[in-house]
Amino acid sequence: MITSAEAIDLIKTRIGVDGPAMTATVEAGHVRRFVEAIGDPNPRWTKEAPPTFLVALAPVSFHLDDAEVYGTGWLNGGNRFEYFTPVLIGDQITAKGHVVDVYDKPGSSGNLLFIIFETEYSNQRGELVARLRGTAIRR
Amino acid sequence: MNSESPNLTRRVANAKVGQELPELVKQPTTRQLVQYAGAQGDFYEIHYDQDYARSIGLPGVILHGLLKAAFLGQLITDWIGDEATLKTFEVSYRGIDVPAEPYRCRGKVTRIDGKNVELEVWGEDESGKRTTLGTAAVELR
Repeated sequence: MITSAEAIDLIKTRIGVDGPAMTATVEAGHVRRFVEAIGDPNPRWTKEAPPTFLVALAPVSFHLDDAEVYGTGWLNGGNRFEYFTPVLIGDQITAKGHVVDVYDKPGSSGNLLFIIFETEYSNQRGELVARLRGTAIRR
Repeated sequence: MNSESPNLTRRVANAKVGQELPELVKQPTTRQLVQYAGAQGDFYEIHYDQDYARSIGLPGVILHGLLKAAFLGQLITDWIGDEATLKTFEVSYRGIDVPAEPYRCRGKVTRIDGKNVELEVWGEDESGKRTTLGTAAVELR
């Protein structure tokens, strides 16, 4: 079992280093289950993926498990999506992610650990389709 | 109904700064949280295990931040239709939301610069507190 300080140091060594790429196909059935789950009946989603679907294709954040020695739970601080090319059903999307920054600071009820990560998604033609930046928080 | 846009097919092009988007009210349920957990592949227990959620100081199971983002995404894509393309979408989670309470998605136009339209979007809990804050940029086609 590593300490919280060691976990932070370990995650720091990964800043800017891409984790293993993951590739997945945008399947019609998966998109249908996703839009049913979010309750969005727009017929457009029979051809195209809705704006947040990419998070369902690959883990949102990579190699954050080591941070679980810190605090008791995860919070999602925020997400920022940039879109470059529409994601269509049948596309084969490759996700590559890395840690951008990690730091801890005092919060109102104890210390919080912030991990900023970025994931880039590209399609089967190698076009960048979207970039996601997220803030994962341990409290 | 959006009375300021009589021509619904041109509602983004005809939008004015300060104009509000048609509100979208969601009624999330525990069933929906399980459906979403499966569809996204996020099996963090705070979204379906009441005992676990309470054991770490939550009032019970809570909505996924990304489910709230998906609701706000729908608010935007319903409004822009085929008229514009979503370029950026950012959300910041400022509070928890629980199932069986309405989650109101709202937004307004903050800036128009040629083909680029910027929006402020937010999600409100039952008391009117803004638990999710966000922005989006769309571009007219």
